[in-house]
Amino acid sequence: MAKEEEYKELFLAEAQENHEQLNNLFTELEKDIASKTAVDAIFRITHTLKGNAMGMGFSAIAELSHVMEDIFNEVKTGRLKLDLLFFNSLFKANDTLGQLINSIQTGADVKYIGIKTKLEVALRNARQNTAAPVNENVQEQEQNISPTESVELAANLPFAIDATQQVEDESDYEGEDPAEQKITISDMVQVPVRKLDYLLNIIGELIIERDALIARHTDRGHKVSELARLQRITSDLQFGVMDIRLVQIGFLFSKFHRIVRDVAALENKKVDLVLEGTDIEIDRNILRIMSDSLVHLVRNSVSHGIESVEERMRLGKPETGKVTLTARSEKDTVYIHVTDDGKGIDVALIKRKALEKGIITPDFANIMDDDEVLMCLFEPGFSSAEKITEVSGRGVGMDVVKRAAESIGGRVLIQTELGKGSTFTLALPSSMAVKGALLFELQKQVFAIALNHTEAVISLQKHEIHKVSSGLASSYLGKTIPVFFLHDLFNLDNRIERDELYPYHHTFDRTDAFQKLDVVVVTHNNRLVGLVVDKLVQQKEIVEKTLSKPVDHIDLFSGATILGNGDVCLVLNIIGIISNLYKEKKTH
Amino acid sequence: MADEKPYTIDDVRREASRETEKAADVVKTIQLIVFKLGDEEYGLSIDMIKEVISTPNIARVPQTPDYVKGVANIRGNIITVLDLEQKFGLAKPEHHNIKQNFTLVLKSDEYKAGVLVRQVPGTLTVKESDIDLASGFIQYTNLDESSIIGVVKSGNRMIILIDMIRLIQIDNLQNISASIQPTKNTNNE
Repeated sequence: MAKEEEYKELFLAEAQENHEQLNNLFTELEKDIASKTAVDAIFRITHTLKGNAMGMGFSAIAELSHVMEDIFNEVKTGRLKLDLLFFNSLFKANDTLGQLINSIQTGADVKYIGIKTKLEVALRNARQNTAAPVNENVQEQEQNISPTESVELAANLPFAIDATQQVEDESDYEGEDPAEQKITISDMVQVPVRKLDYLLNIIGELIIERDALIARHTDRGHKVSELARLQRITSDLQFGVMDIRLVQIGFLFSKFHRIVRDVAALENKKVDLVLEGTDIEIDRNILRIMSDSLVHLVRNSVSHGIESVEERMRLGKPETGKVTLTARSEKDTVYIHVTDDGKGIDVALIKRKALEKGIITPDFANIMDDDEVLMCLFEPGFSSAEKITEVSGRGVGMDVVKRAAESIGGRVLIQTELGKGSTFTLALPSSMAVKGALLFELQKQVFAIALNHTEAVISLQKHEIHKVSSGLASSYLGKTIPVFFLHDLFNLDNRIERDELYPYHHTFDRTDAFQKLDVVVVTHNNRLVGLVVDKLVQQKEIVEKTLSKPVDHIDLFSGATILGNGDVCLVLNIIGIISNLYKEKKTH
Repeated sequence: MADEKPYTIDDVRREASRETEKAADVVKTIQLIVFKLGDEEYGLSIDMIKEVISTPNIARVPQTPDYVKGVANIRGNIITVLDLEQKFGLAKPEHHNIKQNFTLVLKSDEYKAGVLVRQVPGTLTVKESDIDLASGFIQYTNLDESSIIGVVKSGNRMIILIDMIRLIQIDNLQNISASIQPTKNTNNE
C-alpha cells in the first residue's frame, strides 16, 4: 500500500512538472505559432502524461491528455492550423489538466468533459475538413451543435454524455474564479545527472586535497584530531552528494510487470511477478548499466525457468508461475535476486554442453563442483536453450550480464534446484564512487587494490613459496593457494616474447632467500590468489575513476584514483585478473 | 547614450580588423599548433588541442606499448600520455637526456590523451590551399596514411599535419587488451 502511495507521489511530481512545461510551451507557441519544436514537445509531453496516467489508473487525466495529444498530432502533420483564438481552449484544457492533477491530492471534483468535448469537436472538424480553418471560433460551433450532431458526437466519445451535460460542465468551468488558480511548485527538483557527476568529481578533488593537508599536518607533528572536523564535514558532504545520486530500485522493478506480461503472453505461460525490497536505494549509474542485464535475467526466468501451463499442472504446481524480483542491501552491497519457481537448471546437462562447446576440458569437468559448472552459463558462446527463441535469443547473452556486473565491481551467482526453480543473484556495489583500498608499491609506483577483494595481507619468506609446475604456490590458513609475483603478471607479454619458459618464476628466481615478502591475498568467486608486491603502503578511502580511451581496455586495471600528492594511482581489477588466471587453467 | 559617442580612432581600427577578418574568411585559413618530433615538424589543427601544460608526473601503465608513457592527473582528469617520437621512431640518442617538458592535451570527448613535446609548441596560420593533402608519398613512411591529413609548406619548412584522434583510433591500442593468458600471446610471434 505504501508503495502505491510512493508511485502516486512520483506520478504527481512528474505530472505537475509536465503541466508546468505545457503551460510554458503553450505560451511559447502562442508567441510563435509556427514553432515546430514547441509542437513536438507538447505532443511528446501529452503522450507521456497520457501513458503515465493510464498506468496509474487516472482515467480523467489520461482522457484529456489523450485528446490534447491527438490535436497536436494533427498540428504536427499540418492538418490542423493553430490560431490565436484556439489558444484559449488550449490554455483552458491545460488548466483543467492541472486541476485534475491536483485533485489527486485534494480529492476535489473537477469537471473536464466540457473542455475535452470542445477539443474533440475541433479535432473532428480538422479531420473532416482540412481546408477549413478551425479558427472560425470553436466556441460558436460548439454552441451550434445540432441535436443529430451531438448524438453522433456522443457516440464518438468513449463515455457517452448528452449535450446538456456538456453545457453544464462548460458553464461550471466558466464560472470559476480565476483567483483560484494557484501556482504550485513541486517539492521535487530535477537535476541533470551530468551536474551531479561534476559535483561528485569536485568533491573527489576536495577529499584528495584534504588528505594531502592532513598528511602534511601530521608530518609536522600535529595531531590528526585537530583536523577531525574538516574530515567529518567533507565526508558528510561526499556522502550527501552520493545520496542524491541514489534512486529507489522500485523505479526499475516496476517496469518489469510489462516485460513479464509480454514474454509470458508470447510463450503462452501464466506468470505473476512479485516485487520485494523496492525501497532499496542504489546508485543511478549502476542501475543504468545493469538494467539491460536485469531485463535479460527476468526474460530468461520466464522463458526458460517457468514451465508451460500443462507441464505445471502435470507436476502438480500451481498453473501460474511466479517470478520474484527481490532487492536487499548488506553493508555496501545491493543484492538483486531474480527467482522463479520453474524447472530449475540441470547441472549435468550444462556440463555436457560446456564439454561439447569446448568451454571446459574433460579433465576439468571431472573435478568441477556444481557451482563451477553453473558459472559456465556465463561463458561467452554458451546458451543452454535448445533453440533460440524470440524472447531470450536476442540482445544480450548471459556473458554480457556477467561482464556488466563485473565492470562495476559486482558479480553474479546462481542457485538452482531441479524441479523447484532457480535464483540468479546480482551482487552490486550500492555506490560506485568511494571504496576502501589497500595501497602498495611495486617498482617505486603506487597501486591500489579494492578492500572488498582483499582477503588478507600476509608476510611470507621465500622458502614458504614453492614452485608447482609452471606456477608458484604457498599455504594460507591451511589451504594451498596459487601465488604470483605481480611484477611478473605486469610484464608477462615481454617475458613470453623473450621465450622465457617459466614467466611466473622470473621474479621468484631473482629473490633473495631470506627476504620477507608482502603478499596480498585477494579473492573472487571463492578463489584465493596471493599477489606478491614490493611494499605495502597504507589503507585508504579512494575515489575511483574509470580509465578513458585509449587505455580503457586493459584487463589488469579497473580504474585509477588520484593520490594526495596529485599523482595517479592505478586500481587493480582483481576480478579480471583472477578470472583470466582461472580461465587459462580451465582450458589448459 | 552610446549613440552619441564620437567616432574614434579605435573604431576605425576595429572596423579595419573586421575587414581583414572578412578577407581572411574568403581565403580559408587554419591555425596550427606546430611542434617538433625528432627533427621534423608536425602540426595539429588548433581545434584539436585543449591546452598545453608542463608535463605532470606520469604513472606507468603495465602491458601497454612503450610509447604509452602512462597516465597523468591533469586538472582532476586522468589523461593518457603518448610519446610520438617513440612511436614513429624519431627519437635520437642525444635527445634521451632532454626531458619532454610539455604535454599537448587533446580536445576530445571520447579520448583522454595528451602528446609529449620537448619545446613550447608554436602556432602558425596557413591557408587551406597551402596544405598538400595526403597522397601516395606517405606510403613509404612509418605513418599510417589515414592519420595524415597532409603536408604544409611554409617557406622552406615542411610541416606534417596529423589527425591525432585518428592516429589513436587506428592504433592497436584498443586491441592490446593485455590478456594475461600467455598461451594466447605465444601465437603472435
